[in-house]
Amino acid sequence: MKLPAEPNTTYSSCSYLRRPRTLFQDMLQDLLAARELAWRLFMRDVKGEFRQSFLGTFWAIVPPALTAAGLTLANRSGVLNVGATEIPYPAFIMLGTVLWQTFLDALNSPDKALKTSKAILGKVKFPHEAIILAQIGQILFHLCTKLLLVIALFLFFKVAVSWSIILAPVAIISLVLLGVAIGLLLVPITNLVEDISRSMQVVHLVWFFLTPVIYPVPENPYLAVAVNLNPVTPLLVTARDWITIGFNGIPLNFVLVSVLSIFLLFLGWLVFRLSMPYLIERIS
Amino acid sequence: MVHLEEDITQHQSLQKTVLSVRGVYKKFCRNLKRSYVYGLKDIGSELLGLRWESPQLRKGEFWALQDIDFELERGQSMGIVGLNGSGKTTLLRIISGLMKPDRGEVKVRGRISALIALGAGFNPLLSGRENVFINMAILGLSRQEILKTFDQVVNFAELWNAIDSPVRTYSSGMRARLGFACAVYARPTLLLIDEVLAVGDVRFRTKCYRKLDQLREAGTSFLMVAHNPNIILRTCDSAIYLRQGKIIGNGPTSQVMGQYDEDLRSNNGNRPAGKVVLAAKTESSGVDITSVLLRNETGQVVDMAFSGQPLKLCLRCHINVEVDQLGMGVLIGDAQREGDWLLNLYTDQEKTAMAVTGHEMELQLCLPYCGLRPGDYTAKITVFRYPFFVYDMVESFKFRVKSRVQMNQCAFFQEHSWDACPVTILEPEDNFPKGIM
Repeated sequence: MKLPAEPNTTYSSCSYLRRPRTLFQDMLQDLLAARELAWRLFMRDVKGEFRQSFLGTFWAIVPPALTAAGLTLANRSGVLNVGATEIPYPAFIMLGTVLWQTFLDALNSPDKALKTSKAILGKVKFPHEAIILAQIGQILFHLCTKLLLVIALFLFFKVAVSWSIILAPVAIISLVLLGVAIGLLLVPITNLVEDISRSMQVVHLVWFFLTPVIYPVPENPYLAVAVNLNPVTPLLVTARDWITIGFNGIPLNFVLVSVLSIFLLFLGWLVFRLSMPYLIERIS
Repeated sequence: MVHLEEDITQHQSLQKTVLSVRGVYKKFCRNLKRSYVYGLKDIGSELLGLRWESPQLRKGEFWALQDIDFELERGQSMGIVGLNGSGKTTLLRIISGLMKPDRGEVKVRGRISALIALGAGFNPLLSGRENVFINMAILGLSRQEILKTFDQVVNFAELWNAIDSPVRTYSSGMRARLGFACAVYARPTLLLIDEVLAVGDVRFRTKCYRKLDQLREAGTSFLMVAHNPNIILRTCDSAIYLRQGKIIGNGPTSQVMGQYDEDLRSNNGNRPAGKVVLAAKTESSGVDITSVLLRNETGQVVDMAFSGQPLKLCLRCHINVEVDQLGMGVLIGDAQREGDWLLNLYTDQEKTAMAVTGHEMELQLCLPYCGLRPGDYTAKITVFRYPFFVYDMVESFKFRVKSRVQMNQCAFFQEHSWDACPVTILEPEDNFPKGIM
């Protein structure tokens, strides 16, 4: 009988970082090995989602639409004063909320990945990168369906869409990567300290108000500093601008944050990978 | 015979170590909050590359595994036995790489497939077909490999009609079948089996064992945890016995299982003495039992019985009434399961009695061989006069039965011999009584 290729594996108590070469080789190998599984898990989740629902994607668009409707009413009646936006306010909010939601999904995705695969994590050894990739796939899938609906709405209401929308994926991917990176870095803490995972809700809320989602980048100097220091701002604003206003150069802070995202993602991957055995020991 | 030996040596030279576990330690913390704090600390030192070995126990920790050391060769199968909480599953999880040991190392050559849970990751909403693909991908197979084995998996699981229905509609047996089929067709080098073969009906279980045998012949090694000793005895060449995280027995299966069985028994209560001297009665009804004892075939007083050996259960009585005959009744049951009697021997059932010829008598229940299997027993003994007059009784006489021969998987001792006859000196098959074939 021909035996399959035989990998030699050693599990010992010492830190993987002591043998960085093996570690990085393993990381790369697992990432490659995870693609197939990630695709299957992604398909499983998406199919599972649609088999139980009749309206499917329709639900994805309801919350941003309602937010847009509510805030537009508030703005018109003068309760809320957000200043002038380049595109009609409802469209501005819808797009902003969809993008923000995507970032939030990305931020929560590592945690969600761990929670949904708890059952297998404690029982089978497989490249854990797969569950993260599957989650990213799901986020992008949901984003695409939402964006399609949003843009269809735009066209229906005759809101202009710029040609530079074809560049938007770059910005959106940066946004998702940043979210996933931060999520991965937080994985050990959110899973071991319940207080942190609860406080995340508050953090999300504050973060939401410090991001120009429902308002344009403010002119008020104090708020502007806070908003501009927020790493999500350049990514979200650039993505929104490229979809609606058009291409006017690549902002420097966008480039900086994108590079930072990639660096953080790698760091997050390392943290996630090294902490998994300890998490599995405790969560399953 | 010579050929066979040659084959064996050749086979042995091909054998390679598939799994080597060297001095593995693992500690756990029972306090949940503290275990999370330790978890964070451990992750911290892991990330800083400081972690090497952690030989010290911190507050609230205990060793779940200590100095575990063994090897497993290709095509060998090993059973792991031990009481609940002795570290069996922890060991399997460390071997499968789910957790890191705190000291020592585990080396694995080849692909591991863990049957710690059958059908881990099945999504109830998806069809069996889709789930097979996912499950086998989790076990590390590529799409091509899955496509190649898919039909075999379905055949083995016997789910031809149901494979396209959602797994939610499957019975638990069907799910287990599909899960088992996925795991065995993943062609692992080392299969870890944790108490999962208890599911499914007898026919399917038999099929599983047959499949496991085939795999073993093809060079797959097993590491198997089971509480049912018969499963281990039937499938494993060797076994290790864990108690409180330590290996206290390692060797051929029957030997380790014997040790385990014996410990199981002696854990429950004290060792029975095998003889009892009763205190003098203040009030006598005429016949008083003074002591109960066991004798072997030569009439010596012994403190335990042996399965298959002659045995006398003796009752010494002091008789101070005029009586010609005495009846004796003995009820014997498993000491662990009180109320469940295994034997009920009464003189009056057999229309017999024992003649009384003096004031001090020893009444003997003579067994040409003791049919009880090894274990602890309790006997309830009565002395009476026909029809209903009970003189005295011993509520519970405890004694132990041991065995000089292997009696695993036997409910009782059966006296037997073996024989082989050439058919030519027997009647031809045509002469068998009608209705036998």
